[in-house]
Amino acid sequence: MLRYFLNRLIGIIPILFFVSIFIFLFVHMIPGDPARLVAGQDASLADVKAVERELGLDKPLTTQYVHFVTNIIQGDLGVSLKTKRPVFDEIAKRFMPTFWLTVWSMGWAVIFGLLIGVISATKRNKWQDYVGMFGAVSGISLPSFWLGLMLIQLFSVNLGWLPTGGLDSWKSYILPSITLGAGVAAVIARFSRSSLMDVLKEDYIRTGRAKGLKENKVVWGHALKNSMIPVVTMTGLQFGFLLGGSIVIETVFSWPGLGRLLIDSVAFRDYPVIQAEMLLFALEFILINLIVDLLYGVLNPQIRYD
Amino acid sequence: MAEKLLEIKNLQTHFKSDRGVVKAVDDVTITVNKGETVGVVGESGCGKSVTSLSVMRLLKDTPGKIVGGTIEFEGKDLAHLSEKEMRLIRGNDIAMIFQEPMTSLNPVYKIGRQIEEAVMLHLKYDKKQAREHAIKMLKLVGIPRAEEIVDEFPYQLSGGMRQRVMIAMAMACNPKLLIADEPTTALDVTIQAQILDLMRNLSKERGTSIMMITHDLGVVAEMCDRVVVMYAGKVVEEADVFTIFENPKHPYTEGLLNSVPKLGQKIKRLESIPGNVPTPGNMPQGCKFAPRCGKVMDICTKQDPELKMIDKDHTCRCWLYQESGVLEV
Repeated sequence: MLRYFLNRLIGIIPILFFVSIFIFLFVHMIPGDPARLVAGQDASLADVKAVERELGLDKPLTTQYVHFVTNIIQGDLGVSLKTKRPVFDEIAKRFMPTFWLTVWSMGWAVIFGLLIGVISATKRNKWQDYVGMFGAVSGISLPSFWLGLMLIQLFSVNLGWLPTGGLDSWKSYILPSITLGAGVAAVIARFSRSSLMDVLKEDYIRTGRAKGLKENKVVWGHALKNSMIPVVTMTGLQFGFLLGGSIVIETVFSWPGLGRLLIDSVAFRDYPVIQAEMLLFALEFILINLIVDLLYGVLNPQIRYD
Repeated sequence: MAEKLLEIKNLQTHFKSDRGVVKAVDDVTITVNKGETVGVVGESGCGKSVTSLSVMRLLKDTPGKIVGGTIEFEGKDLAHLSEKEMRLIRGNDIAMIFQEPMTSLNPVYKIGRQIEEAVMLHLKYDKKQAREHAIKMLKLVGIPRAEEIVDEFPYQLSGGMRQRVMIAMAMACNPKLLIADEPTTALDVTIQAQILDLMRNLSKERGTSIMMITHDLGVVAEMCDRVVVMYAGKVVEEADVFTIFENPKHPYTEGLLNSVPKLGQKIKRLESIPGNVPTPGNMPQGCKFAPRCGKVMDICTKQDPELKMIDKDHTCRCWLYQESGVLEV
């Protein structure tokens, strides 16, 4: 188990190496010239060239890549072209708001998603199922910016209970996390419903009932754990996506997170920031996949890691 | 006169499907006395499993519903008990083991926990007592290394071992009635014999009645005191095990017996009953067995025969024996 874990951790290094090549190439394929943007619209060609030299953008791509990678290995993510501050600080500042927003969103998405999924599966084709699945389909299909704006209209503008945006206190988390979690909760509800319905047909469920267990105990105790593997897989993926920061939600709620940092950096062709953020997303996904794989072992004792 | 434990009377369990109502169990009457082993025999789809699930009231999640008759067990009518009252009986007074040992245990929980669950629920044992009891039960059903096996998962055991675990689980609360639905069908022949021995010994020691659902006449001969033969949702013949084997009356029972090879008898070709069990949507008029029956008469295809008592403790549903002046059941 520990060996498996260490092997997987070591395996991250070559993956990140390949990812870094692609990230570097893709970022440099974005049309537009950062030197021109840094120097300003009215700058002369000579000034632009000077800025280019200063930023090291005049060197061949391979040289630039080697420079980029050696710096990363030394723990140096570079300096933002736009703010001239270390990229690490720029990202660190934005990471925590996005991280906590993700945790809030996933937290209640998992709770409500599972609850709706279980109720729908056990009351299938009854009104509870129809209501639950209507909610789930709505959660998937409502555009999140629309849901966000509606929530702001109702709770911030009309009722004045919650802030319209920004990050000041725990209250600031409520509306964006609901907006962000709605879609995830809906997907979790649908996954757990269908998975649970399959498990409820299994022979060992009948065994549980034949023992005289209460239906609640059969469902939550015996069926749920067996039905969780697809749900955990999907929840892990969603967690990864949310950790990348949602551009739409962060814009609607003027949230100081990674999503807005990314879109600003792309607009400014801020290569070091874009590259560092992309690397971070890759790392997050790799780690989440690892956690999901370890959770499989918890859910199904037949899965062994040796 | 033996004391009655379970008395199923005129049970009707119907399934609603898109193409109409399927009468899976249609007028079944079975009595199980205390300490007795009753075999319920028939081909696949004759309604024997549905009968057992009806007794346990485990038809939830199926479109099936008990629509008529009574299931009397110790003075209570199981067919009309509330779900809550039924839960106190399931696993406690009546336990059940199933055909598929490979899939009947929950793969994600340890063996011990699955046995303890029922014990803690019905016998009100605490965790420690329940665990000791689980180990004791595992030993009782002949599982070696019981102290280690309690902490193992089902996938670590073979099919025969899992069926032993199922039996341990079923017997853990000392039920009065054990319903065994094809308990040996999925097992190797040598393991089958061991499991049957085990069940017989346990029932003798503890005075447990067994309702043995099977299509295997070998199992019936081995285990049962009395036999109920079912065909297309109805009981067609019932007698003690010797009478059934020596003097079967219903042509279907005769057919079943003739399709089993007998030791010391040289035959070129094993007989078989022509045709198939009628599909529920395609039930013939009159006697359900008439289209496959070698002794079919005019009346058979027009009217359904009644279950008649043709001898002491011997009933049969066949036009051949309708007018022999015997009593109606």
